[in-house]
Amino acid sequence: MEFLLENILNLVGFIIGIIIGVFAYVGYKNTGSPVLFRLTIAFIAIGIGFGIIWTGYLIDDVFLQEGKINRGLQALGLGIQTIGYFFIAFSHTIKSFFPKSRYFRSVGILPLFVLSSMNIEHIIRSFSFILLVYGAIETFVSFLEGKQKGALAVGTGLALLAFGEFIAWYSLVFPESILYSVSILLKISGLISLFLPISRLPLRKIKLDNLDEDEDEKIDK
Amino acid sequence: MGVYRKQIQIVGDILYAAEELTIDQNGASITNLIQKANISHSRISKILTNLVSQGLLEQIDSKRACKYKISMTGKNFLREYRTFSEFTDNFGLTI
Repeated sequence: MEFLLENILNLVGFIIGIIIGVFAYVGYKNTGSPVLFRLTIAFIAIGIGFGIIWTGYLIDDVFLQEGKINRGLQALGLGIQTIGYFFIAFSHTIKSFFPKSRYFRSVGILPLFVLSSMNIEHIIRSFSFILLVYGAIETFVSFLEGKQKGALAVGTGLALLAFGEFIAWYSLVFPESILYSVSILLKISGLISLFLPISRLPLRKIKLDNLDEDEDEKIDK
Repeated sequence: MGVYRKQIQIVGDILYAAEELTIDQNGASITNLIQKANISHSRISKILTNLVSQGLLEQIDSKRACKYKISMTGKNFLREYRTFSEFTDNFGLTI
């Protein structure tokens, strides 16, 4: 059951990540906006991260049949996803997240390593959780300021992904419980919620031949 | 506290103003664009020159003063700008 859910989650994550990433890239090419460039990196990374884990499960299912994914491959996929979450958080100017005091900064990050010293996968999950929570909070704040329904859906999506990540990490304490399946379902819901407002936008082929990067620079002067 | 507009937002606002003001095909004067896009004269002059050179705006020589009309490329750009602006808004970001 978990194996099937993991396959579905990673396939959905791969598809949604790549679609949003490509859409952001088209936007970046047409407008030259650095925000769209960061979103392109973010979602392409998230898509590739999910894709790598999905490939890992597929390899195990077809060839190895051990019933578990290669740990290195999973860590790689999670790591690339975390880079994606970082770029979403970075778009919200990540500096405001960390306390200004050097002392608080070191103490604030310390529990992350104390709690997650078991292996690299858990450290990555912890980073993902923090970045997702930050992205969700910032998006909710934007929703409160602008009352955009899309921002509410994206904020909910990021929050569900964060909660799913937290439950996945917590399920290590109770390995044979239903927690891991719940976390996967939460993550799938989060990805769908993330995609909902984007699906309403016209996903047609867009190209403006007259605007190349040099001309964008001219505008900036 | 005032919010600063990014360059692309200013361009978007000028194109939007030009589109609104060129319904009658006569084009919009610089004064109209300044008022509608809320931008200073010194700043809009440079931007208008760039937008015309890129084919987003068309310059119309009138008897009294220069007027500007949004081109087809400009209309396409404005449509895409709005789409991607909505896209970034969904993430709580500004394009």
